[in-house]
Amino acid sequence: MIKISRNIISTQLQLSFVAVFLLFIFKLFFGSTDAIYLKIILDILIAAVTFFLLLALIRFENNRATAPLSLIMNVGILLAIMFFIITFSDYLMPSIFDNINLKLKNPGLVYNIVSVFYILVFVGLASYFLQTLRHFFYLNQGRSVHIYFNTMLVFFMLASLSGNFFEAENVSFLSTTFFVVSVLLMVFNSIRISWIAFLSKKEKIYLLILSFVITILFIVNITNSSGDNIHSQILNAFSPSLKQFNLIIMVYGSIYFFILFFTTLFHLPTAEAYDRKAQEVNSLQYFSKLITEVLDFTDLAETVTDIAQKLSGSKAAWIIWKNGTEQNSLAATNIGFVESGKLTKQILERINFEKLTSTKTFNLKEKIVEGESENLFSVVSVSPIKTRGETQGILVAAKGAGEIFTKDDLNAIETFSDYASVAIENSWLLEQSIEKERLEKELDVAREIQRKILPLKVPEFPSLQISSVFIPAFEVGGDYYDFFRISESKLGFVIADVSGKGISAAFIMAEVKGIFESLSKTIERPKEILIKANEILKDTLDSKSFVSAAYGYFDLIEKKLIFARAGHCPLFLLRDSDSKQIKPSGLGLGLSVTDYFEQTLEEYSIDLIENDTIVLYTDGVTEAKNELLEDFGDKHFLNVLQSNINLSAEELSNKIIREITLFSSNHEQYDDITLIIFKWQQ
Amino acid sequence: MAEFSTSIKEKGEVSIINLKGFLDAHTAPTLENNFMQLINSNKFKIVVNFEDLSYISSAGLGVFMAYIESIRDNKGDIKFTNMSDKVFNIFDLLGFPLLYEIYKYEEEAIKKFFGS
Repeated sequence: MIKISRNIISTQLQLSFVAVFLLFIFKLFFGSTDAIYLKIILDILIAAVTFFLLLALIRFENNRATAPLSLIMNVGILLAIMFFIITFSDYLMPSIFDNINLKLKNPGLVYNIVSVFYILVFVGLASYFLQTLRHFFYLNQGRSVHIYFNTMLVFFMLASLSGNFFEAENVSFLSTTFFVVSVLLMVFNSIRISWIAFLSKKEKIYLLILSFVITILFIVNITNSSGDNIHSQILNAFSPSLKQFNLIIMVYGSIYFFILFFTTLFHLPTAEAYDRKAQEVNSLQYFSKLITEVLDFTDLAETVTDIAQKLSGSKAAWIIWKNGTEQNSLAATNIGFVESGKLTKQILERINFEKLTSTKTFNLKEKIVEGESENLFSVVSVSPIKTRGETQGILVAAKGAGEIFTKDDLNAIETFSDYASVAIENSWLLEQSIEKERLEKELDVAREIQRKILPLKVPEFPSLQISSVFIPAFEVGGDYYDFFRISESKLGFVIADVSGKGISAAFIMAEVKGIFESLSKTIERPKEILIKANEILKDTLDSKSFVSAAYGYFDLIEKKLIFARAGHCPLFLLRDSDSKQIKPSGLGLGLSVTDYFEQTLEEYSIDLIENDTIVLYTDGVTEAKNELLEDFGDKHFLNVLQSNINLSAEELSNKIIREITLFSSNHEQYDDITLIIFKWQQ
Repeated sequence: MAEFSTSIKEKGEVSIINLKGFLDAHTAPTLENNFMQLINSNKFKIVVNFEDLSYISSAGLGVFMAYIESIRDNKGDIKFTNMSDKVFNIFDLLGFPLLYEIYKYEEEAIKKFFGS
């Protein structure tokens, strides 16, 4: 791309050089002439030089994309140079050529060469001015207005050339007409200058001065070159059309910069408001972008104070944030934490944190007087940052001694604090939902652990119907049960409930499974197993956690059930003649030291008879709640069991689960439900 | 979901914690803070009144276990009073009556602190 555009520049420059060369040749051969066709050729050559030079300059400037203000500065400098050339040509030219007046009429070789250089300078200047004015014209408009500018250029040509060719009395009005039309088109093309609106106030003042000086310079140069001085004579002798063209460009320049001066002048009073609006728009755009980007609360807070400080034109800004019962300053911009902390203290004495509903401003009583920061801040504005309807923080902006917060400052900061509230609330909600997701993931893990720990199916064992049901709660409740085939004639079982919920409960469950699995392989007596389990758990569990458990085994040969209970729910024995709840003494695992645990633990033995039904469960069954928060309860449970005593183990557990589901249909299941039923069939 | 609150009153050297509502894993930290406060201010004679407590979960029971050792090491104790049958059953199942003194009324528990 760059290579291509460079080629174009050189092509156009080359063409203009060719035209300049031809101009030279022409002058060498023909010098000063009155023949009309030669005049036409000369003017065509000059027009060609101007045209190609203009094209080359347009390309050049388009590639550089210089700021308007520096272009204007360039124009000013060139005008000054032009002024000096014109002025000094009066002294310089006569000193080079002995008799300048004679030379003008009868030029020699040297004069011709010098005059070509001389007029080239002015062709170049005119081209540059025209190019710059064209640039400003297109800055203003869209691309669809070529016609206005090009029409004007055509009239420039006509006006320039007509002076040369319509000198006769009867057609001289044509030249005037073209000139007047050109001027009208200049005015038309110069009004509605809109690009200055985007300048800052400072730039507008700068532009005002520049445009004034440039207008004056243009006018001075016009008067200078239209007089009877040497410069004017040289140009006129060379080509009256060129002189006319130069004049037209200067007129265009003076008109444009005159209008620019007044437009800038009228823009000046609103410049400050425009500046602020532009800054506000910038800040809000920046901020709305950040609302979606900032995931981190600290980053967000820093951005908020940074923008607040710029927006209100303050020296410093920070946030007072409520953290539980404390209020801390955070995200201090342009102020140390120590200083902002001190000012925060002062501010909190003056205002009621919770009751701040709108932006307020007040003077600080004691200014900071320590070290270098003496009298650093004297006035602050405070705006509430609200989340969920409560004042959660205060946005503070502070200004230095002698400064005040204008109404505009306060409006800006108030609007901004509303935006900040929304952003901070979003950030907070995001954090919440991330936390929620994390907890849900954690619970997924816990459920997975529990699923893997619990037996896949009940064992088959002679003389015994076995049924087990496990219904997990949303928050893993820590229920655990298992069966152990101790020998051909002995089946061990355990049911346990870990205190607490979730992932921590799931990990303890895994530990408990390991303990009972290994102990059941080496120890037979339930009491001993529970004592050992307590010993291990007392050491490994933290003081808040414990496990309730019941361990026992069925003996086919002796027809006995032997079991012990460590703080777990009682066991139900259903028998036609005598149904009962069996609750031998025993502390939960992990609650007490071995000695005391052993002392208080009882082992219980049941001699089994045909159709004895043994029911084990966790508190999820009896504490299942209805919409009135009433428990399903021991009594209700026993009633259901007794009235369905003739059902098989499977049928009975289905019946109970149905009852529980019915009872608690309007209340969320809060704890795991485990139900194990054995039915003796011997 | 369920509400839980506590209040502490002093009767001589004895601090009485009144429990109200549902004590479970989510509300247990409130009670933990109460115990920590009392221990930090060297108050080791504590009576817990369960009169207004409707429910206690295993995590709620864990709170008492967490502090009983350090309290007893300082010649203090936690005594329970005014339990409803339902709450008592939960304590009873785990064998808490073997580990803690449980009284029907607050005054009995306070007397015990001064009596022995």
